[in-house]
Amino acid sequence: VTTDAPAEDYLDLSGAGRVHLFRDGSGEPVLFLHAAGGAGTWPEFHARLARRFDVIAPDHPGFGKSDEFPEAEGVDDLVYHYLDVLDALGLETAHVVGASFGGWIAAELAVAAPHRVRSLVLLSAAGLRLPDHPVTDLFLTPPGKLPEILFHSPPPASPGAGREVGRGRPGGRSGPVGRGNEVGQACSGPDLDAILAAYREATSLARFSWVPYLSNPKLERRLHRITAPTLVIAPDDDRLIPVAHARRYADRIPGARYAEVRDCGHSMHFEKPAECADLTTAFISGHSPSDQITDGVSR
Amino acid sequence: VKFSFFHLMPYPYLPDDFDEKYDSTALTFPNKHFDPDLGVRLYQRYLDELEYADVLGFDGIAVNEHHQSAYGLMPSPNIMAAALTRRTSRARIMVLGNAIGIRGNPLRVAEEIAMLDLLSDGRVDSGFVRGIGWEYFGHSINPTKSRSRFNEAHDLIVKAWTSDELFAWNGDNYEYRYVNIWPKPVQKPHPPIYIPGAGSTETMKFCAERKYAYMSVYAPTRIVGRWFDGYRKAADDLGYVPDPEKIAFSVPVYVAETSQQAHEEARPMVEWLYHLGLKQTAEMVTPPGYMSPGSLRGVLASGMHGFRESPYEDLLANGQAVVGSPAAVADRLGELHAELGGFGQLIGLFSIGPATHQQVMRSAELFAGEVMPALRSLGLSTSPA
Repeated sequence: VTTDAPAEDYLDLSGAGRVHLFRDGSGEPVLFLHAAGGAGTWPEFHARLARRFDVIAPDHPGFGKSDEFPEAEGVDDLVYHYLDVLDALGLETAHVVGASFGGWIAAELAVAAPHRVRSLVLLSAAGLRLPDHPVTDLFLTPPGKLPEILFHSPPPASPGAGREVGRGRPGGRSGPVGRGNEVGQACSGPDLDAILAAYREATSLARFSWVPYLSNPKLERRLHRITAPTLVIAPDDDRLIPVAHARRYADRIPGARYAEVRDCGHSMHFEKPAECADLTTAFISGHSPSDQITDGVSR
Repeated sequence: VKFSFFHLMPYPYLPDDFDEKYDSTALTFPNKHFDPDLGVRLYQRYLDELEYADVLGFDGIAVNEHHQSAYGLMPSPNIMAAALTRRTSRARIMVLGNAIGIRGNPLRVAEEIAMLDLLSDGRVDSGFVRGIGWEYFGHSINPTKSRSRFNEAHDLIVKAWTSDELFAWNGDNYEYRYVNIWPKPVQKPHPPIYIPGAGSTETMKFCAERKYAYMSVYAPTRIVGRWFDGYRKAADDLGYVPDPEKIAFSVPVYVAETSQQAHEEARPMVEWLYHLGLKQTAEMVTPPGYMSPGSLRGVLASGMHGFRESPYEDLLANGQAVVGSPAAVADRLGELHAELGGFGQLIGLFSIGPATHQQVMRSAELFAGEVMPALRSLGLSTSPA
């Protein structure tokens, strides 16, 4: 279920480029960092958070309608990028919620700048290198197989899946033309634009995460630096990033709480938006000086 | 026109259920299907074929680089080229090429080509390729850096070959405090450079600016023609007409005594090459960032489709293989020469997929004996497009 998106906005980062974002709601500021898919969308999860909070959902460099920021080459650069975003928004601190790839960035941000993060919520976060629990290779997965990897019960039309990583990557099924050429039908108009947009996002993801694959091998040993109250949420059926990753996050982040959503796949805030939003809202409210509510999170 | 005998060194012994069970001959096709004893014999046989091409009078013998694939068994083309230097005396030894986009240490390529140039007494041609999509998975190189790594490695290698002074290198991808190669190449200013093109305007311009040979990869004639036109246009923009030898057309070729025999024998070879050998998924072909948005737009808009959708007859009609009696092959290559606006080099793949040694040797003999003489003067009277 996609809801009406709020008016879109752009943030100018002093000559480096423009960041596209959606922002809605009022209350404590919540910075949402999207997954490899999901840029430029305002799904139900966001709308639910916006009932209680001031939700700010920017597109990462090279995603959605944000500029490339070509100097951002690694996740360390993304941390500086989001510190710039917080500065440009005039926010000394914010609650940070990140999903998958965005969860990785959120964790790195909370490691590098603990004083800027009021609370941290990780949704099926990437970022750890656990050789015994390898992450499925998204870059080698054909688009048609993504829904079954991203969802516990792939919806017929996969509203979120369509926007997940590598959506509509270029090309048909078989054989190349020459070496290094693309296959498929002659393509034009909106189809061509959609393929190129998807390829751009896959390219941006690869820029930050081809190798080491979707991880920073140093992150795990730095997690003790996080001071923000942290909630780690995992789906019970993550076929992309094994649940062991979420458990490791919860083990290594001081005082972190852990919650699991049942009958749910990797794209959890798309598959179970109400449950994820309730858990997130309760946790953030419990760590908002201006908005004290008992948090209902189970350990 | 000059002629070279190009080898991929394929591993043709795929299991019968290969097509049902595997997405590709590359990357994920398990190497339990590789039999080293057969590999020993293949290497000897394939080197014999290349050496025989030297005897037959081919102008060049060519090898290339592929990784983790039954499509081609040469992870290091320089090793094969080294083997050829001591057993051949006349033909150019063409390394087409080193995949400098995926090399961890491109200075090593500068050193090895310099060694080969000395070993062969100046007979080496040095191709540089980016490496194909699946190799960015296989060697864990970020494809979004592909062009940057290629360009920087190229610049470093050429400078290493030509500089008489020790220098330091500080680039986006590589840093060396001491570049000072021993030996240096014997050809001056350096071995000729070949670059394959597959439609990228960046590559056409890159080659035209440096007067490098621009060689096609396998694609239908109407598309290869556009690439060659693009290269000629890029040269024209710089105010010159490229030497015909700087345009190299690559195509699989099979010759037998009669056209009927040639087609009967070549059909399974050509089908193996295009339908099995090059089988791969779209994800392997274009990992993210491997192509620029402009190049990808151009390719998608051109309507190229997968090789597997092309039956044998279409592959022949599209100029993706040339098969027949010596006279038929000479005629067909003459036609293609005209359609493509001319080329000064033909890079023929003579050992195609499951071709037997006898078939390859005979095809090369017929080509050298009857086709090459008929085509030698081709294009000498043709004006550039």
